[in-house]
Amino acid sequence: MQEKPEVEPILSMNSVEVLYDNVMLAIKGVSVQVPRGEMIALLGSNGAGKSTTLKAISGLLKTERGRISRGEIRFEGADITEMLAQKRVERGICHVIEGRRVFEHLTPDENLTAAAPGGMSRAALHAEKEKIYAYFPRLAERRNSASGYLSGGEQQMLAIGRALVTQPRLLMLDEPSLGLAPFLVAEIFGIIQKINREEGVSILLVEQNALAALEIVSEGYLIENGRVVMHGTAEALKANSDIQEFYLGGGEGTDFHNVKHYSRRKRWLS
Amino acid sequence: MELVFLAELAVNGAMTGLLYSLFAIGLVLIYKASSVPNLAQGALTMLGAYVVLAFADGLGMPLWVAIPLAAIVMFGLGFGIERVALRRLAGRPVIMILMMTLGLDIFLRGTTMAIWGATSASMELGVSYEPLFLGDLFISRIHLVGSIVTLVLFGAFMLFFRTRAGIKLKAIADDYTASWSVGISVERGVGLSWALASVVAVAAGVIWGEIQGVDQSLSLLLLKGLAVAVLGGLDSILGAVVAGIILGIIENVGANFLDPLVGGGSRDLIVAAVLILTVMIRPHGLFGRHDIERV
Ligand SMILES: Nc1ncnc2c1ncn2[C@@H]1O[C@H](COP(=O)(O)OP(=O)(O)OP(=O)(O)O)[C@@H](O)[C@H]1O
Ligand SMILES: [Mg+2]
Repeated sequence: MQEKPEVEPILSMNSVEVLYDNVMLAIKGVSVQVPRGEMIALLGSNGAGKSTTLKAISGLLKTERGRISRGEIRFEGADITEMLAQKRVERGICHVIEGRRVFEHLTPDENLTAAAPGGMSRAALHAEKEKIYAYFPRLAERRNSASGYLSGGEQQMLAIGRALVTQPRLLMLDEPSLGLAPFLVAEIFGIIQKINREEGVSILLVEQNALAALEIVSEGYLIENGRVVMHGTAEALKANSDIQEFYLGGGEGTDFHNVKHYSRRKRWLS
Repeated sequence: MELVFLAELAVNGAMTGLLYSLFAIGLVLIYKASSVPNLAQGALTMLGAYVVLAFADGLGMPLWVAIPLAAIVMFGLGFGIERVALRRLAGRPVIMILMMTLGLDIFLRGTTMAIWGATSASMELGVSYEPLFLGDLFISRIHLVGSIVTLVLFGAFMLFFRTRAGIKLKAIADDYTASWSVGISVERGVGLSWALASVVAVAAGVIWGEIQGVDQSLSLLLLKGLAVAVLGGLDSILGAVVAGIILGIIENVGANFLDPLVGGGSRDLIVAAVLILTVMIRPHGLFGRHDIERV
């Protein structure tokens, strides 16, 4: 019997270019593969093109007058390059967008309800909510107050929980650690890991906080100026001298707020 | 004696106000989904009344058939408006959407004028104009019927916004992009809100058509409806109902005292004053939501 070379990745993005407003080339030939069941990080500084990459995958480019001008994206073997965002969610891709955009005037409970897929029964939705509240007990306590008044960490948890209601097989998270205290980052990353292990959800994690991200992912891609400039296992990336320099003065106890500021100044290999 | 008279003014004012609310509920539904006051709501209301008459007088159907049929037609029209006029505007500045509703208003008034002309038609609901006495108070029956319709619709919408479809609509009102990100069809939600507002327009068109006849002047309800919606907070259905009652009472009682002094026409002044003061003193209205600020 012939051995299978490699399992097909759940997501494969090949040489994708994205144009905003038909003129602004935001990513220039980005290729990213997410193996099924793995956690992959997308790293890079401000304006590198990380969010644009996620939006290309989730189909949210359209809302910002952006489009894929080249390349293709395949999810579970099917070409989704031109598919409507809504259809991609139905297929199992969910994008937790940058900036914790919860539905502020809705309660956490309503936020979860709003994300329920069309065919989900009441009982299934109820079970799903209980599962999410078990992941995030803080949300359970505040399930009936306005989400706009939750703390930043709680809002991030709600945004992740809301995404889980859509039953994703690929969960994309855009800077979930942004602006959160280190202990909260650890808590949220712990839960992301748990979701990955217990539910088998593949995860694509965008982070500027490379140090924390590389602790939990298996591979990482480094994007700079709209291009992938480095790709390797988490170990290889952590050992890389450029990456080390990038986080100079870092280490386990890094204050992540400062990392974010520092990364704003430092540009990669450009 | 004097007190009874005041009470009568207040009660009838409140009922007239609820009829403004009936109109304003349509404005609120669309404001929630599209973030603009729909300047075509008056024209939609007039169109709703004409469609009812087309079924009733044109095709000889009884009103209890004609009104639901008109509601269905207008429901479909609401979805059609989203599909044809609004879909491509998603993500554009809201002023564009506002201008689109203005264009729609002019278009609908022109079309109804071309089809049905300028002469007033009557909506024969068969509600008696015999006075109805509640104790010592003289009550207008048609206004009472209209008030009940308003409250029933209000209750129905309160229930609707607790269903899954209603919650998705509230989510759309909060954040388009976040809605798309979890697979909510914003387009369908906006279409649904226009469809529901068009059904409300049928209800308002029937009641107001009975009161003042069906002609182009029905579209002018927009102005009072807007004043009520703004006072209520633009995005609150409860606000629209409460504000309607308040405006109706102030208008009716106030005009009774002011009209003899200024020789008539004080109703419009009172409405204008309420609108202007709301915008100056309480821009979010009575129940409008504030953008949540957390620091
Ligand atoms: N809607 C848009 N219209 C035009 N240009 C855009 C738009 N969104 C992003 N860009 C540009 O595309 C480039 C990549 O932006 P993107 O948001 O993907 O970066 P990022 O890596 O997510 O940055 P950050 O870490 O700051 O979130 C930037 O130069 C940005 O200015
Ligand atoms: Mg970004």
